[in-house]
Amino acid sequence: MSSPDTCVHCNLPIPPADLVVDQIDGKELHFCCHGCQGVYRIITGAGLESFYRNRTWDEQGVPSGAFEADYDEASLAGHVIRRDETTADISLIIEGIRCASCVWLLEKLLVREAGVTAIRVNYGTHRAVIRFNPQATTPAKIFSAISRLGYLPHPFSPGAAQQAAAREQRSLLIRFGTAAFLSMQLMGFSFALYGGYFHGIDPEIRQLIQYFAAAVATPVVFYSGWPFLAGAWRSLKNRSASMDLLISLGVSTAYCYSIYAMFKGGEVYFDTSAMIITLILLGRLFESSARNRSISGIDKLLRLAPDSASRVDGDEVNTVASASLVPGDTILVRPGERIPVDCQVLSGDTEVDESTVTGEPMPILRQAGDKVSAGSLNLSTSIRLKVEKVAAESFIARMARLVEEAQNRKAPIQSMADRVATLFVPLVTTIAIGTWAFWWFSGASHGEALLNAVSVLIVACPCALGLATPTAVLAASGNAAGKGILFRGGDILELTSRVDLIAFDKTGTLTHGQPTVEQIIPASGQTETTLLELASRAESGSSHPLAMAVLASAKTAGIQPGPAGLVTAVPGRGLKMQCKDGEILAGSRTFLTESGVEVPTIDSGTRTEVHLSLGGVWQGLLLLHDPLRQEAQQTVRELKKLGLDMVLLTGDRPETAQQVSENLAMPDYQANMSPADKTAWIETRQGDNHTVMMVGDGINDAPALSLADVGCAMAGGTDIALETSDLVLTRPDLESLHIAIFIARKAMQVIKQNLFWAFSYNLVTIPLAASGKLAPVWAAAAMAGSSILVVSNSLRLGRLVRRTFSVAKPPASD
Amino acid sequence: MIKSIVILIVLSLCIGTGAWLIFIWTVKRGDFDDVEGPKYRMLDDDENNSSPPGTSQGEKK
Repeated sequence: MSSPDTCVHCNLPIPPADLVVDQIDGKELHFCCHGCQGVYRIITGAGLESFYRNRTWDEQGVPSGAFEADYDEASLAGHVIRRDETTADISLIIEGIRCASCVWLLEKLLVREAGVTAIRVNYGTHRAVIRFNPQATTPAKIFSAISRLGYLPHPFSPGAAQQAAAREQRSLLIRFGTAAFLSMQLMGFSFALYGGYFHGIDPEIRQLIQYFAAAVATPVVFYSGWPFLAGAWRSLKNRSASMDLLISLGVSTAYCYSIYAMFKGGEVYFDTSAMIITLILLGRLFESSARNRSISGIDKLLRLAPDSASRVDGDEVNTVASASLVPGDTILVRPGERIPVDCQVLSGDTEVDESTVTGEPMPILRQAGDKVSAGSLNLSTSIRLKVEKVAAESFIARMARLVEEAQNRKAPIQSMADRVATLFVPLVTTIAIGTWAFWWFSGASHGEALLNAVSVLIVACPCALGLATPTAVLAASGNAAGKGILFRGGDILELTSRVDLIAFDKTGTLTHGQPTVEQIIPASGQTETTLLELASRAESGSSHPLAMAVLASAKTAGIQPGPAGLVTAVPGRGLKMQCKDGEILAGSRTFLTESGVEVPTIDSGTRTEVHLSLGGVWQGLLLLHDPLRQEAQQTVRELKKLGLDMVLLTGDRPETAQQVSENLAMPDYQANMSPADKTAWIETRQGDNHTVMMVGDGINDAPALSLADVGCAMAGGTDIALETSDLVLTRPDLESLHIAIFIARKAMQVIKQNLFWAFSYNLVTIPLAASGKLAPVWAAAAMAGSSILVVSNSLRLGRLVRRTFSVAKPPASD
Repeated sequence: MIKSIVILIVLSLCIGTGAWLIFIWTVKRGDFDDVEGPKYRMLDDDENNSSPPGTSQGEKK
């Protein structure tokens, strides 16, 4: 599970100076710090060592500052929901959950805490609800227990909007479940009635079965179908036609006519109304579960900035709420902690992971006088900072506002189904009224005129029309999900098919977002292997992305680093290691030159150099860069074939952007783009009547993702990017993107075919019904036929997708 | 004849309603809130894996 040089608990490489050796159960175990040793003892002491067998990740652990967190009883009290004297609930979000074992560990260990009665951790959303006895424990104690395990708990009170969404989802599920259950019953009754129609049936029994059919159909129409009826009423009030109106019109005429026919001894059509509602509810259920996967992106963004900060007041350091910091305060940020508000560095040199701000994975050196943004992660040393902006004005809050604005600005689109309804509803109503008027004035009885008008409404009943879109959307999203593509709704499918311009973020999207060793240039007399061994020995204790890349490359080459010595890291420069062969220096050109090593000039282009020297003699250099994804070139080619324009939007330097765009044969690029620039750029293009898709992965892309017509994020990107996007590629594979567009376009094609068929069916049957020549039972048969046609046409999508992409991609090794 | 049909139909409706009530109960209990976790939960080799009662978020008003 863990090799000898990594920590048993957190899997981080152990800096030789920090090695902690412990004897547990007669085995010698290595830890990187006493914190990890302590946690290991807690876990094994509780008899839960199977966690180490169960866990499936081999990545490095949680931010090291996490253990020192202090929890303020007063601020947590507001999040507690009291149920009675001895029971209370608290909701929280637990950061650091990586796999199901984490959930298991948290549940098992917390329930052993005194006073905790129950806990349930949601694996998908990382939310947890803990029920405890407020007389036996306090929220702060529970929070400390969680952080002792190495997870970061945040109190969380779901906003009104989220609670509403969750309730909505549940009520939809119940409505659908009810509709499905009753429709199944109804089908039994209808089956008897069909049989009776062809073979004869005792009118008394027929009436009886019709009563039962009415009894089960009524709740479907009025309870399950309530969202449609309410929607229809709303659109009537607004004097606009919508799909809801069309569905309600069809459902209610079929239902009302059936009630009338039941008493008059005619044929009933309860099954039609129930089936439409059931199928369309199923479609909505899929859509809303894709939409509500998780809490909203804005919330996740806001909790990137820590809730509490360590304020330096004279000689003491106090833990205060980040919101209470005012400009001019001095705060202390330890390594592993995130910076709570926008600040200026007062003292201390450190490396800061600013990937939240810029999207770039490389840490940046920050020294006294430099500015740092809220949400960035302090990596190497403790620093003192002067607060420059209050929390509400800081980077993270500004970002959240940008996302919110972008979401509000995005105009809701009128879906194709609604556009059809706008045309169709007035048309059918006019024809029905016309029919009634015609028969009334040509001297037919009142009943006959009404019957003909109703049969127009029934045959025009949007059975096929109502199913045209939802079934195609269902088939498309189902098949897309199998290919690792998640469309968050039918409108997204439609928008994706219309996309004509794709904007790509660079780091993490077109590239892997992690540097790798690309070239090894040894000095004369050295081999690549010895150089790589030297490098990996020097870097073995570091968690810097460059060091990780060197170690990974050494591991691939099968090189065991030699015994390490005492390491001194110089932030932003490199590191020094004393070992028996002399002093090893690994780092930038300036670092080595300043230390008196002669370094030859080598043109490395846009790549990052790591120079190495041993005992003051230059040994060679490694060239690292962030490589393009393997499939990127192929994807760009495929997308071009589909006739799409593409552009690269990056916060990186123009040279790098140019190089990437040349490699990919992507003609257009924009470099040095801030998050706000990206949104502005997209907005301009949308103004020129482009339908823009943005593909990105970082927090800095979030506003652009929410503004773009279709925001697309890939698994492996940040949670916030995934939350703010409409289209999610659940595998870190760019190739799915062109499959997504293919599926979307095919789905729209199928929807159009379906609509065309539904219209031609109406074109034939409406005149027949208006002239009173269509027996209701034939109308019903034709209706069923057209529905079957529409459904099977939609199902064709699945075969189409399988046929097109089954050979193209070997099955993922699982 | 009619009598037996009515009895059978009512009986089938009763059984169906029972299943429906169980469905409503499970939704209200929040069993459908996390559809991702349970498939892993069953893999945990634990002695007493009884799920804690009604701790899902949906329980709250």
